[in-house]
Parts: sequence; C-alpha cells; structure tokens
Amino acid sequence: MSSDNVIEIENLDKWFGKVKALDKLNLSVERGQVHGFLGPNGAGKSTAIRVLLGLLKADGGTARVLDGDPWKDVVSLHRRLAYVPGDVSLWPGMTGGEAIDLLGSLRGGLDQKRRAELIERFELDPTKRGRQYSKGNRQKVAIVAALASDAELLILDEPTSGLDPLMEAVFTDVISAAKTRGVSLLLSSHILAEVESLADRLSIIRDGRIVETGTLAQLRGKARTTIHATFTRVPEVGALKSLHDVRIDGSKLTATADADKIGEAMKILTGYGLESLTVEPPSLESLFRRFYEGDEGEAAA
Amino acid sequence: MNTAVAGAPELLRTILRHEGRNFAPWVLIATALSVSSVLVYPWIFPELSDRVALATAIGANPAFGMIFGPAFELTTSDGFNAWRTLALGGFLTGLGSIFAVVRTTRGQEDSGQAELLASGVLGRGSRLLAGVGFALVGSVMVGIVSAVSTGLCGGNWEDSFLLSATFTATGWMFAGVAAICAQLGSSARAANSIAVGILGALFLARGFAYSIEAPDWTVWANPLGWMTETRPASGDNWWPLLYAIAFTVIAILIAFALQYRRDFGFGIIPPRPGPASGKVRSVLALALRINRGPIITWTIAFAVLGIVYGYFATSVHDILAKDSSVAAILAAGATTPEALTSVFLLTILGLVGIIAAVPGVQTMIKVRSEEMEDRVEPLLAQAVSRPKYYAPNVLLALLMPAIYVLIAGLLIAALASSADIGVDFGDTFLQAVATVPAVWTITAVSVAIVGARPKVSIAAWVGVLAAFVLTILGPTFKLWDWILAISPFWHVPTVSAVDADWTGLIWISLVTLFFLAVGFAGFRHRDLAVS
Repeated sequence: MSSDNVIEIENLDKWFGKVKALDKLNLSVERGQVHGFLGPNGAGKSTAIRVLLGLLKADGGTARVLDGDPWKDVVSLHRRLAYVPGDVSLWPGMTGGEAIDLLGSLRGGLDQKRRAELIERFELDPTKRGRQYSKGNRQKVAIVAALASDAELLILDEPTSGLDPLMEAVFTDVISAAKTRGVSLLLSSHILAEVESLADRLSIIRDGRIVETGTLAQLRGKARTTIHATFTRVPEVGALKSLHDVRIDGSKLTATADADKIGEAMKILTGYGLESLTVEPPSLESLFRRFYEGDEGEAAA
Repeated sequence: MNTAVAGAPELLRTILRHEGRNFAPWVLIATALSVSSVLVYPWIFPELSDRVALATAIGANPAFGMIFGPAFELTTSDGFNAWRTLALGGFLTGLGSIFAVVRTTRGQEDSGQAELLASGVLGRGSRLLAGVGFALVGSVMVGIVSAVSTGLCGGNWEDSFLLSATFTATGWMFAGVAAICAQLGSSARAANSIAVGILGALFLARGFAYSIEAPDWTVWANPLGWMTETRPASGDNWWPLLYAIAFTVIAILIAFALQYRRDFGFGIIPPRPGPASGKVRSVLALALRINRGPIITWTIAFAVLGIVYGYFATSVHDILAKDSSVAAILAAGATTPEALTSVFLLTILGLVGIIAAVPGVQTMIKVRSEEMEDRVEPLLAQAVSRPKYYAPNVLLALLMPAIYVLIAGLLIAALASSADIGVDFGDTFLQAVATVPAVWTITAVSVAIVGARPKVSIAAWVGVLAAFVLTILGPTFKLWDWILAISPFWHVPTVSAVDADWTGLIWISLVTLFFLAVGFAGFRHRDLAVS
C-alpha cells in the first residue's frame, strides 16, 4: 500500500445480522487532501467511518488508517486523528466547554489558542449544559473539539447538519485552514454542494459500494449534459436513442446526453429543424442523481 | 368552551392512554404496602402481648418515627397499617404525581413534543391542565385501588378508605406543587429536583416534628402533617382532607398564573451558566461525574438503612424474645437471645449486601445506555482503548457497593454494640467486610452481560434476583444446600464463629474474576452501539 494514503480500504464487508451494510467497499484518501464521501442516508457512510474508528469490526477485506490497523492500533491511531459524529450527543449535565476539554484531554491535549478562536468564530456559548444546546450547537461543540486538536487526519460525518448557512461558511473557512496546515480530511455528506467547494476527490457510495470515485473534473466528465431544444418537426422518441431522460412537451424537448455522445446527439437534433437550443454544462448534481435514483431512475432513462 | 383550555380533554385522553402505564407502578406499590400490612400483621403478631411489645419497641426507636411517623395504635391490624403505610404511601403517590405532571408539561417542552402540540388548536392553558388532570386522575386511582384491595383483604372499610384517601390527597397536593415547579425550573430535571426536594423536606420535617414532640403548629404548618392528623383507625378525622383540597386548588391557580407569565421553553428561574472549561479530564472522572446523582442518593440511603437496622437490632431482643413467627423468618434456628440477635444481624447484613449490588448493576447498565446514546463513540475516537474505557466504569461499579456496605455496616455495628445486648462492634463490622466479596460476584454478572451480551442487558439483574430469592427467601422454602450455594452470600462465613471457614470467599472471588474476564473480553471484541 502507498504510504501517501492516509486511508486505504479494500474490499471491506460488514454485516448486521442478515443485512449487508458494506459490500466490497474500496476507498482511498491521499495525504493532505480533502476527500468527499457522498451518499444518501443509509448508504453505509457512517458504517464505513465506524470501521475506520475501530468501533465496528470488519467482516471481510482490509482497512488501514495512517498505516495502522483501525481495530488493533486504536490508541496510537486516535492520537493522530479527530472525529466529528453526524449526530452529536452530549452529556446532559456537562457544559459544552467541559465536553470539549474532556475530549481534548483524552486525546492528549488541545491547542488552547485555537480552542478560543474556534469558540469565538462559531459563536458558541461554552457555559451552557449539554441538554440546553440545539442540534446545531451540539454539532459546534464536536467541531471545536476536533479542530482544536493537532490531529493529522480529520474524519467528519455529515458535520454541518444543523448548522445555519453563516456557520456553514465559517465551517468551510476553518476546514480550508486545516487543509493549509496539512491536515487530511474525510468529509462525508449527503449534500453535494457542501463537499463540492472543499473536496479534491470524491467517492460516491450506494448500497454499501463505491459506485464512482475521482477528482471533480473526472466526475464532471462522466456527468451528462442537459439539452433543451425547440423544433419545427417533433422528433419520434425512438429516434433519440443516444439521449437520456427524454421529455417531449409539444415541440419542446428536454434530455440529457453523455459527454461522448454530444456530437452524435447534435447531428440527430439538427435533422428536425432546431428553432432554439440551450445546453447546460454537466453538473455534479445530475451525476449524483444518476447513482442515487437506483434502478427505477435508470429504467426511465 | 373557554379557548384558554381548548383541546384539553382530547389531550388528557391521549396522555391517559399513552402515559397511563407510567402511573401504574405507583398504584401497585401503594396498594401492596397497605394490603401486605393487613395480611401479614395478624399472622406475625397474633397475640396482644406481641403487639404491645412491638409498640414499645417502636416507641423506643426514633429512627422509626422519622420514617413512618408516630404510631397511634398498634393493637389492631388497621392501626398497624395506618402507621406503616400512611407516610410512605403518601410519599410515593406524591412522587408519582410530581413525575407525571413534570413529564407531561415541562418534559414535553424539552423533548419538542409540546411545540408540535402548541402549534395545533390548543389553548395556552391546555397542556398544563391536561398534565395536572393526569396526575389528579392517577392519584384517585391509587386511592380507589388501595382502599378496595385493603378492604377486600380484611381491612376495616372506613379506616382503609380514609388511609387511601390520604394517598390521593397527597398526590393531589403534589400535583399542584409540581405544576408550580414546572413553571419555575428551566428544564424538566430542574423542575423535578425542586418538587422532589420540597416533598422530601416536608417528609423529614413531619417525622422530626413527631419524633421530638415539637409544638403543634409545626405539624399543622406542614401539608403532610394534615395527612397524619387524619388518624385512620385511631379517630378517623376526615376534615383535614379539606385542607388538602384547598391547598391543591390554590397551588394549581398559582401555577396557571405563572404559566401565563413565562415564555415557552423557559423557566422563571434561569439556568446558571456552567464552567467554560472543564476539570473532568479522564474516563474515571467522567464516570464519577455522570454517576454523581446516584452516588449521593445511595450514600444517604445506606446511611439511613444502617441507622434503621442498627436501632432495630437493639430492640430485636424485645420483639423476637418470645417464640413468635417473626423470629422464624428473621432468625431461623436460633435458640438463645444472643444467638437470635447474631443470626438477625447476619440476615440483615446479607440483605444490605444484596441491596448494595443494585447500584453496582445500575452503573453497568448506565455504561450500556451511554453507549446506545452515542456518547461513548466520541470518547473511543480519542486515544482511549476499550479496556481503558471499561475499567474505570467497572471499578466504580465494584467500589461504590463496597463503600455502601461498609457505611451501613459501620452504623449497624456502632448502634448495635452501643446497647447492652452482647453484640461486638469488631465482629459485626468484620461481618460487613466479609459480605463485600459476595456483592462483587453479583455485580460482576452485570459486568459480563454488558461487556459480552449487551442485547440481553436485562439479564444483568439476574445476579441480584437470584441472590435475593435464594438467600432471603430460600431458607423458608427449605431448599437443598447445593441450590442455596448458588448464591454467593451462602459462602460468606459467620466471622464470630470459632470455626469460621473463609475458603468460600476465595471460591466466589474466582467466580467474580471469571465474570470480569468475560466482560472485558466481550467489550473488547464486539461492535459498539449496535442494538
């Protein structure tokens, strides 16, 4: 395995009873990069992350974190990584400040200056008790605790759920700052836009498998271009086999085309007397949807 | 209908349907207390001389007065029932009432349910009215079920109804108190603490007022004092119950006035801000912190237990001296008065040990609930290995019960040896120390279950249950020794005996170590937070 990868997962399987949560999952995260880990709810993101943290034991395949075994080398690995869970549960009677310090102490100390800065930037009141915080504020407590550490790897499981747009912007800022310090990140989310601006590479997970992985540019290349056109002669649906998602409404057509089929599509469309034509650049959203929609989505295409 | 309480009847029906079963245990406990008195009393104290001896012993024991209040009449089973049940039955109904009101009013605001409800067609006062209504109905249920059951089991009907009416009245008054506290506290927990604190303080004040024969006004200034002054089976005064109704009405009116002045989700007493930085910096410190409440409560409970049993031991002579059936249960096989007291102490210390295992098991169950509420995950994501997380919790689960047994043992030994009944302080305390390894064996069962098979975490209680059945009830069933020997308490030697055999403790400690090893191995190898 390459020592340039901070996370290396190969053919990972995990069963919960008779349910297969992870199915030959492969994932690698390069040092110093932000890796977006995208998938719908229940796709297996949190399960994969819990295996990486040594909370769940893999049933097959291998997982390596920072060149160590996440199940065996728990303590030495966890000194070097920090984690923000998707659903933060705090001790009801302890203040946010106390929780941050407890988590920091258990790792081996916090950067006090950065702790203060982060509390300030996230406008967090550290004197409130766990039971008084809203979801967003509980999330902030976990984010401050993780980012105030000197970890070289951050594992964030849907870290911005519950944060307002202003706080999301602050979050994007502090993650960029962490990246500048040389920290590697695995950032899971079910919202593409959140990952798009931060991630160097992306992996899309569905039903416990990685269905697509690559840089933003590579994934864009695989995404479909959307075409809107108006015709003088209405085309037959059968003639548009190289297009996907075809919808015809009177003389108007909306469809998508694979990147390598655009030329072919244009040739066909011009044959019906184009009156107007709009071509939208491929969005990741459309790619994302393609994998999310599952078999029904594919059948409709 | 008044729009301020629109929707209240529907809401009350929903609460009764979905929360009703939360009140059922209080109905059962209060009824069991009352019914058991009228059933057991004639059986244990059949002769008038027994009953007079009991009255004398109780009169001489201030600890009883503190808890049960004054004994006005002990020569009838109804009088005995009034003494034994009035204070505790009322206290328990009051507790049930407080929890019912707070959970259905303030508690809903914390959990977010109230927000859904309040946004619907619901008057401003409806939620409070429905919550209070629930507690009032629940308290009436306690009264009716207890009165009818007690009457059917042989209690005098008027005495039983008056006694049970004091339960209902106490429940009503504390529904009012809780309704006020739910407006004061900034969370359900704060509201519960204030209300239970008031109930506890009034309970102690009543016991104290009667024990030291304080001036009359100290009794009449205390709503719980009104209940005692109804004197079921020794006068049957119904009129103090009118005071209770007036108190309830006024308290509820105050609660409504306060509710109209407060914002949704806030209390009139604002929460104090806590420290911005923390001193809890290790797993052990965290375990102590999250178990702080139970530790304080159990320490007090065992101190009280030690005092009560200690005093009881000093009067055990008088109560058990004659060949009564109490002796058959509490001190089976004893022939001389000294042997009687000694066997009694042995039984009591065993019982203390079994009770002490309960907080130990609770600590382990807490480990599981923390795990399921996702609070262990962030800890283990730090540089904490699983054994290093489990060990401090297990340590606490073993250490605290040992301390509780020693607290109770120390008090029992001190009080029993202070009276001239041939009890040696050193022997009695050593007996308490010898009980500790057996407590550990029982607690270790829960360590094994939570570590290795948390899905059946209810099984963590198996040890406590088995020990209770085998050690306390077993001898009366005349079970064989090899069955009784399953309980670790069977192996605790009688330290004052000449030929005390200590090897049993070594064997049960090996069993303890085995359970601990199973627990640690299991916790190390299993998936976390998977149900």
